[in-house]
Amino acid sequence: MWRTVTVREIVPETAHARTILLDVPGWPGHVAGQHVDVRLTAEDGYQAERSYSIASAPETAALSLTVELFDDGEVSPYLVEELQVGDEFEVRGPVGGYFIWRVQDGGPLFLLAGGSGLVPLMAMLRHHAAQKSTVPARLLVSSRRLDDVLYRDELADLDGHDAVDVSLTLTREQPPGWTGFGRRVDAEMLTAVGPGPSEQPQIFVCGPTAFVEFVADRLVELGHAPDAIRAERFGPTGE
Amino acid sequence: MSTEGLWVDGNAIAGLLRELFGAELTATERGCQTCGAVNCLGAHRVYRGAGTVVRCPVCGDIALRITSLPDRHVVQLTGSWSLDMPRT
Repeated sequence: MWRTVTVREIVPETAHARTILLDVPGWPGHVAGQHVDVRLTAEDGYQAERSYSIASAPETAALSLTVELFDDGEVSPYLVEELQVGDEFEVRGPVGGYFIWRVQDGGPLFLLAGGSGLVPLMAMLRHHAAQKSTVPARLLVSSRRLDDVLYRDELADLDGHDAVDVSLTLTREQPPGWTGFGRRVDAEMLTAVGPGPSEQPQIFVCGPTAFVEFVADRLVELGHAPDAIRAERFGPTGE
Repeated sequence: MSTEGLWVDGNAIAGLLRELFGAELTATERGCQTCGAVNCLGAHRVYRGAGTVVRCPVCGDIALRITSLPDRHVVQLTGSWSLDMPRT
């Protein structure tokens, strides 16, 4: 069940997050939106486990995880601050059959990310791009400040694609000349950015629990079907 | 901090469920014995403390308790479970 993986490459993403590319012998492949469980074992045998969303598209050879530092975490400080190329740890997965999307599942897609909740949604958009999908996809990312937004250059490239629209809202601090949103996600923003209920979008919301709760409630109030909204909450930390 | 943010979704224990039941279970539906709501396990609420407790997302009734000991897991299921599992 548990496989030993080797760190192939580490890519800094923001001041508090980095992407870890892994060599995984015998990796069975994954579906965008799935995650892996990571297990670290200390010299004294103590083990700590945490789940991380897969950032890479199924079409990409190396498996990549993007990990954001949570100061009170048991696993993320090691992965973000200590881990080096060539190091090994254990993973289990891929797991999850609920918060997933394949091109054949269609759309339109409405993706909503709070902070590093962007990671599994990015896997979906990378899969979308790799398959040259024409399914309309709208992504709204909420971050505190521009420097905290993961994959910024890639998001700008995706935004240029016909089928994909990317919107950012910066809740704490906006750079001079900022033309995006500058407040927490609200009903007005969801209406401005997303497909309406009549388009019957498939909706994926990922982020801190409070973010997901708030956004999912607003979406239902706007008339979106509760069972069209799939959510992945990662707990109290973050935004 | 309110306790509101302390739970996560059933997705988070997909790996543990696979270890216990030998299959992907987050897309499997479960009916609640108290309120009757039917939801995928991935949409249930998961509370982690000394053990793992899975609750109905509608009424909060307990669906599953998992206590993980060094050498084994102790699993208690409640409510109605309809498991649609792949043949292997």
